[in-house]
Amino acid sequence: MSFRYYKDNREYIEALRKSGDLVDIHEEVHWDLELGAIIRRVCEKKAPAAFFHKITDYPNFRAFGAPIATYRRLAVALGLEPETPIPKIAEEYTRRTKGQPIKPKIIDKKDAPCKEVILLGEDADLFDLLAPMVHDGDGGRYIGTWHFVVAKDLDTDFVNWGMYRQMVYDEKTMVGPILPFSDMGKMLTKYAAKNLLMPFATVIGPDPLSAIASSAPSPIDEVDFAGMLMGEPVELVKCETSDLYVPAHAEIIIEGVIIPNVLLDEAPFGEYTGYRTSPRDKRGVYRVRAITMRKDPIMTVSNMGTPTDEGQLLRSFTLGLEMERLLRDQGIPITGVYMWPESTHHLVVVGVKPIYANIATQIGQLVFGSKLGPWFHMVVVVDEGTDIYNKDEVIHALCTKCHPKRGIRIEEHGVGTPLNPFASPEERLYGRAPKVIFDCLFPPEWPKSMVPIKVSFENVYPKEIQEKVLANWKKYGFPD
Amino acid sequence: MSTYDTFINKDFEELKEDELIEGVIRELTPGKKKYKSMYARFKVSKEPDKYPNRLFIRLGRGQLVQKPCSMEILEFINPFPEGV
Repeated sequence: MSFRYYKDNREYIEALRKSGDLVDIHEEVHWDLELGAIIRRVCEKKAPAAFFHKITDYPNFRAFGAPIATYRRLAVALGLEPETPIPKIAEEYTRRTKGQPIKPKIIDKKDAPCKEVILLGEDADLFDLLAPMVHDGDGGRYIGTWHFVVAKDLDTDFVNWGMYRQMVYDEKTMVGPILPFSDMGKMLTKYAAKNLLMPFATVIGPDPLSAIASSAPSPIDEVDFAGMLMGEPVELVKCETSDLYVPAHAEIIIEGVIIPNVLLDEAPFGEYTGYRTSPRDKRGVYRVRAITMRKDPIMTVSNMGTPTDEGQLLRSFTLGLEMERLLRDQGIPITGVYMWPESTHHLVVVGVKPIYANIATQIGQLVFGSKLGPWFHMVVVVDEGTDIYNKDEVIHALCTKCHPKRGIRIEEHGVGTPLNPFASPEERLYGRAPKVIFDCLFPPEWPKSMVPIKVSFENVYPKEIQEKVLANWKKYGFPD
Repeated sequence: MSTYDTFINKDFEELKEDELIEGVIRELTPGKKKYKSMYARFKVSKEPDKYPNRLFIRLGRGQLVQKPCSMEILEFINPFPEGV
């Protein structure tokens, strides 16, 4: 059964326009900082997505900025009403992704819009593509900010779609970090050991659900996962220069090879943490062999920085749901998991029924010990009476129920990323990060008579009084 | 005179007069190829007119040093293996 979804960015843009979540910009905008500055402000103000119709030096291009930087836009991408509350979006996402993986379908090249223009060899020039200078001070023009890279394992059929940022170096070269613990990093290690070139394909402007799948931390292959979100197979088409397959309805495809054992300067770049943390450094090298695209391509641009951009929103959303799946699979009596995008997916809030002692420690150890552990370093565990989506309630629980000594548990030797702004230069270099658990649960061994009572409308008034007050609320003179 | 910039992973004060650098410079001429990177060996002076090219310095996290330097490009280097 297929779900309501958009086959390409164009249909999605139209849906956002209809829901009031997109602004058409007809004023000419320069790719060198101006376009980035507009998208940055869109993110910080949680404004509608920006659709640019006229860009200096690139008359045949349009650009789509901040494509999924709000929960409203995520709801639209999933074919839901824009006002759908976060728990309902999560419920729908979980429902779609807990069945059987849906394998992709291969279509003919003549039916693939991403093959309308084919540029091979010398004709494939990265400077003919609209790559914006996103932030002042970036190490270069970033062509890959809302995209994904397709790569295949050397020994198995495993194909990875992952969002690995890519900076234009010259006409034929892109550079970017390929972290060793990432799926593509592990693949590259195998190619590098044999000094083999690793084929890649960069997919720019994929349909929104494929983009979401590529950034989701699921153990299911991303292309199958995208199919599950759609409820039907993703349509793929074969690359021109390798055996890789790419979404046929994308806007632009860049094909080439990653050169193992060669590194070039990349970054700095405004990162998802809201800082430029990782310095200029030697990173992975992508050499371009072909570009295929639509006749009038739309470049997608995410502007990472202070919250909220789509990287923060989607990674928080999907990481949280993956942690929920992990904890439920382990039989932990959780009531939910949520990561606020504003935490730049560094903080995991877990609701649980505290039925035995030290359950918060167990939860923290499980999530920190998972494959996804490097991406966050704080776990806050609250009871089932705390709304994990409500910042006020979680802060209240943290400040009143977490004992400043025995409620805070620190693990000094965790795995981190080089992008952690708080980490020392040495910790960043070796990918180390301490982890902390905030146990906001009253210990279950306390005598019942000694447990403080939460004084809230819902907790300390009889049901009939609550109902009467709610029924008369407007009559008393309150607006809502 | 062409204008370029380069990134150094140290403080500007640590950059020596006539320091020889092997690394990446970026072309800053406006147009579609602005920010193209090139790998080169070049000599840097903190005097803006000593060498034929103007060079702006950025620190490791993108901070721009406002005062321009000058640079002489000694050679361009191909960082890629043969045939790739």
